[in-house]
Amino acid sequence: MYLGFSFVFPFLLIMALLQGGTGLLGTLRGWRPTLILGLISAFIAVTPVGGLPLARWMISFNANFSISLTAILFCKVLEISFGVKLLDKNTLLTCWVFSLTAGLILYPMALGLGGFDPYQAGWGFSWLFVVVGGVTILLLIMKNRFAVVLIAAILAYNLRLLESTNLWDYLVDPFMILVSCIALSSRFLRKLSKRA
Amino acid sequence: MNRRLVIILILATLILYAWPMSSWLSTLGRQPATFATYAPSTPEVDSKPFMVEEFINPDPGTGMVHVGSICELSDGRLTAAWYGGTREGAKDVAIFLATKDPGHPTRWSKPKRVVDRISASRELYRYIKKVGNSIIFTGSGDRLYLIYVTISAGGWSGSSLNVKVSSDAGITWNNSRRLTLSPFFNISELVRSKPVPLNSGGFALPIYHECLGYFPEILWIQSGREDGAIAFRKSRMAGGQSFIQPSVVAYGPALATGFYRCRSDKKAVGVAVTKNAGVSWSEPQTLNLPNPDSAVDAILLSDHRILLAFNDSVQNRENLRLAVSNDRGSDWVRIATLESTQGEKYSYPYMIRSQDGLIHLVYTWHRKRIKHVVFNEAWINAQMKRTAK
Repeated sequence: MYLGFSFVFPFLLIMALLQGGTGLLGTLRGWRPTLILGLISAFIAVTPVGGLPLARWMISFNANFSISLTAILFCKVLEISFGVKLLDKNTLLTCWVFSLTAGLILYPMALGLGGFDPYQAGWGFSWLFVVVGGVTILLLIMKNRFAVVLIAAILAYNLRLLESTNLWDYLVDPFMILVSCIALSSRFLRKLSKRA
Repeated sequence: MNRRLVIILILATLILYAWPMSSWLSTLGRQPATFATYAPSTPEVDSKPFMVEEFINPDPGTGMVHVGSICELSDGRLTAAWYGGTREGAKDVAIFLATKDPGHPTRWSKPKRVVDRISASRELYRYIKKVGNSIIFTGSGDRLYLIYVTISAGGWSGSSLNVKVSSDAGITWNNSRRLTLSPFFNISELVRSKPVPLNSGGFALPIYHECLGYFPEILWIQSGREDGAIAFRKSRMAGGQSFIQPSVVAYGPALATGFYRCRSDKKAVGVAVTKNAGVSWSEPQTLNLPNPDSAVDAILLSDHRILLAFNDSVQNRENLRLAVSNDRGSDWVRIATLESTQGEKYSYPYMIRSQDGLIHLVYTWHRKRIKHVVFNEAWINAQMKRTAK
């Protein structure tokens, strides 16, 4: 199943880039422009370059784009297409903080800092599942929509939609950490400039 | 979100987490994975010392070969795998396989190309820049496992591991499968040493990570329900930047010693022990044996002595020696020099013990050929006696 799903992130990225590019020419909201851009994006994603579809070139260098990043991109594409804002500011802030926290816990130790490897906890039911499940329920009680993204992540994990069989890869990836860093830094700088 | 939706989503969350939890609960009654400690056959008292040397592959001319591994099939045939090409990391590097019928003197078969970057790219459905280290081992029946490195970008730190399985002793192979073992672009995971069989039918395969950190790990492999399918996870042997390429010797269901290649200024073979079947390992120490940042390999003898193949130098790989330890790796006696030529390289030893009690050692010879040395324990004992004199 993961082979088909591996085209989703590249497709969404191409779609978002096309929306960004063509958006300069004017507003592209509505079914018709979305359908046209979607078809063009799908065509580009499956177009073979050097014997491989363009999407698989992207997967060659990172096979596991997290469900969180995929969900953010999907919501962005939807927002540009139909003006539907699925993720409010609060949800996005929760997403950035969650991803950055997860990244800070995971990456330094997984890359060799100390003898403990938290990545190990992602291969089967463990403390990681309890923590993420607990956070999901807490966010639901707080009516924070990021909980839906976390539900999508555990659903994707159960269905093995990514090549990885490790829950961590469904929650975060290096690009998600980068996006979270940029988003939180720019938010911090904006606040700082407002105070000044 | 209204109240009803929140309740529905909470229920959905609980159900979705119950899924992995149920498979975890089903494993609770099972015994934890332990090492399958074979009872090595006691060598015959009157067996004569025996030692034979041969080359597995023909001379590749201007090319190179490296990282040989060997295993025994159920019918006694030997299978060896290695990689070769014009130079290390070149695009034409491929993984080769050769077999040898039981008995002596028989020759190794003509090397067969099992995987190269083109076939790996096709099977894994992604861009592969080059292939590298591989090891081959047998599972239940004549199922052969080939674990090998591919690189899509960069050098060795860009390595990812893949597995190919053959159910007919290497005649045909399933398509390669990528193993996701690192959260950071799934890179920097490499293989070099033989696996330790587990009582559950799986394997504990020593692997290592080399990127920002350089450290040894264990890849736990279990055969899946479908033909050729595997389940896997990994655990860490040590952190830091000093020790890689673990070689693990198990001498009890929960007891094992790991020997490491040393990258640090200590320039000595690293060692660590586990008393809980690899769940945790002691802090790595160094032995009184030099190590020029090169791979070592160890194997258990019938009387629970340990045999180690290593480069006996702090500077280079110009020799290859054997040493024996009576005390699970604390003290060592050098028993034989297999190679010693100035300016040449002898590296990446890999040893197995076949059903007939013979020890098979393969290693990279001058970076040109894979050498196969076969000997029995009587030969080891004779070497020890000679050294004692």
